[in-house]
Amino acid sequence: MRRRTLASDALPAWSFMAPGLLVIAVFVLFPIVYSIPLALTNYSVLGETKYVGLDNFTRAFKDDSFVTSLKNSVLYIIVVPVLQLFSILMAILVNSRIPGIQAFRTAYYIPVVTSMVAVALMWNWLLSQNGVVNYILIELGLTNEKIGWLTSSATALYVLMFITLWKGLGYYMMLYLAGLQSIPSDLYEAAIVDGASWTQRVRHITVPLLRPYIFFCTLISLMGAIRVFDEMFVLTNGGPGTATLTSSLYIYQQGITQLNYGYASALGLIVSVIIGAFSIIVFRFNRRGGVNPY
Amino acid sequence: MMDPSMKKKPSGQPVRMAGIRRSTLKRIPTLAAGYIMLLLLALFMMGPFLWLLSVSLMPGTNVFAFPPAIFPTFIKFDNYVEVWSFIDFPKFIGNTLIITGLGLVLNIVLSLSTAYPLAKMRFKGRSLVFTILVSTMIIPSSTALVVHYLTISWFNLLDTFVGIVLPSAVSVFNIFLMRQTFMGIPDDIRDSGKVDGASEFRIWWQLMVPMVRPGIAVIALLEFMSYWNSFLWPIVVLNDPAKYPLASALTYLNGQFSYNFGWIAAGTILSVLPIIIVFLFTQRYYMEGISGAVKG
Repeated sequence: MRRRTLASDALPAWSFMAPGLLVIAVFVLFPIVYSIPLALTNYSVLGETKYVGLDNFTRAFKDDSFVTSLKNSVLYIIVVPVLQLFSILMAILVNSRIPGIQAFRTAYYIPVVTSMVAVALMWNWLLSQNGVVNYILIELGLTNEKIGWLTSSATALYVLMFITLWKGLGYYMMLYLAGLQSIPSDLYEAAIVDGASWTQRVRHITVPLLRPYIFFCTLISLMGAIRVFDEMFVLTNGGPGTATLTSSLYIYQQGITQLNYGYASALGLIVSVIIGAFSIIVFRFNRRGGVNPY
Repeated sequence: MMDPSMKKKPSGQPVRMAGIRRSTLKRIPTLAAGYIMLLLLALFMMGPFLWLLSVSLMPGTNVFAFPPAIFPTFIKFDNYVEVWSFIDFPKFIGNTLIITGLGLVLNIVLSLSTAYPLAKMRFKGRSLVFTILVSTMIIPSSTALVVHYLTISWFNLLDTFVGIVLPSAVSVFNIFLMRQTFMGIPDDIRDSGKVDGASEFRIWWQLMVPMVRPGIAVIALLEFMSYWNSFLWPIVVLNDPAKYPLASALTYLNGQFSYNFGWIAAGTILSVLPIIIVFLFTQRYYMEGISGAVKG
């Protein structure tokens, strides 16, 4: 019985997937595969291309800028749990039918739909020494001096994390809201009839049924955090010094700006291995977490 | 599993209405606290935009003066008029629309067709495909950029809109999102289609696709904003700045007129407005899709 089903679905399944998988093969798989031979060469715009073995990899770990960029990228993971926690809370907050809720949802989503160019420009002005943020902090008595948020190496990376958080909250809120609304309201109604409190309903209905969404959102935001690029590309270009230099930005500088394709590929592979390790941790965590309701 | 009569509105509604009316008085403090939180959050998320709007409406404002001007003391549209005549906005909006439309259609169709078998069919290699897709999500986009550029030039698609859209015609992320949505649909629906003798394509297009409208709306929404806002890849692919989408053009504006805060603020507001308007429309569809799926 089961065997027959297996056989009968194969043809339609592959026909459905063929166009999509072709695009994935050319633009997702090929770059990965091609970057491996590329990483073993000194391919660049200058000089003759030849096989250099593992030279690019030994060079990478002696490259102070690259090591710093890796540290910054891994440090950026701090943003993931904060982002998930606040976006789930926001989703719960906006998952009601009170008048005007739609306007609030829209307001929270606007930073997401705005281009990083616009966001960067705005926050660059707001966070300048004479900017609105310093003005508000001084007026509230929280600080006496004007802080150069993006020009000080002590704060720059954390300020970029804040911008990532600010821009990303609405996005994850919307995904969690879709999750919340996929939970049948009968469940809540039954729980209310049974006398369950709000906290009990969140704990025993919302969180378990939201689990696949939490897993999904954590995974993509984790990968986004390690690969973070736009924020520093538009706002700081890695500065001051190397304070906000992340691995993606450094790979871009090596590959696109300086056209060292071979070396950039090697750096990319190292970062991929690190991201892979983190994803495996998240997958394990999810599996240990119990039954996937889907 | 569920008694069909429980789904019917007339029997369920009056009971719930009565419950709400009885507890309205008790709910007022909770409701007030909720609104205060909602408003504070709205100020946090929208404040920067409102400030940018006020800068754009006050020609001659210096954003680096202290104390900064937060609220508009006068309103003039000079910045908008000047920026609109300096930058060919309708053309850049047109370019952005072509790129965005092409990308949306490709992404929706390809993620619907690729995710469906992964969620609903049993076949050899399904878990392998899934594993490969998962593992592709870990590669940093900045290495792919170089190879994508080479691939697009091999296809002779440099300086074309297709060249901008093709590398992102379908994403693993969208396939996953759609797969999750398909998995939420009971298997009975596909089985009943099969019993009625419908072809696999008809089952997919006429039974399954209408049921995953919320997923389609989410993908439409996310892809719309990602294409509308992409600035790096278009600059890499396009040689002709006249083909630039809005976000790429905005970086150009920012570089050229960094001294003129009002112009940049006005240009930014102009670039943000269309996407907000379309977002409002898409969001309504998105919510309808969700409630439709719940009702259906």
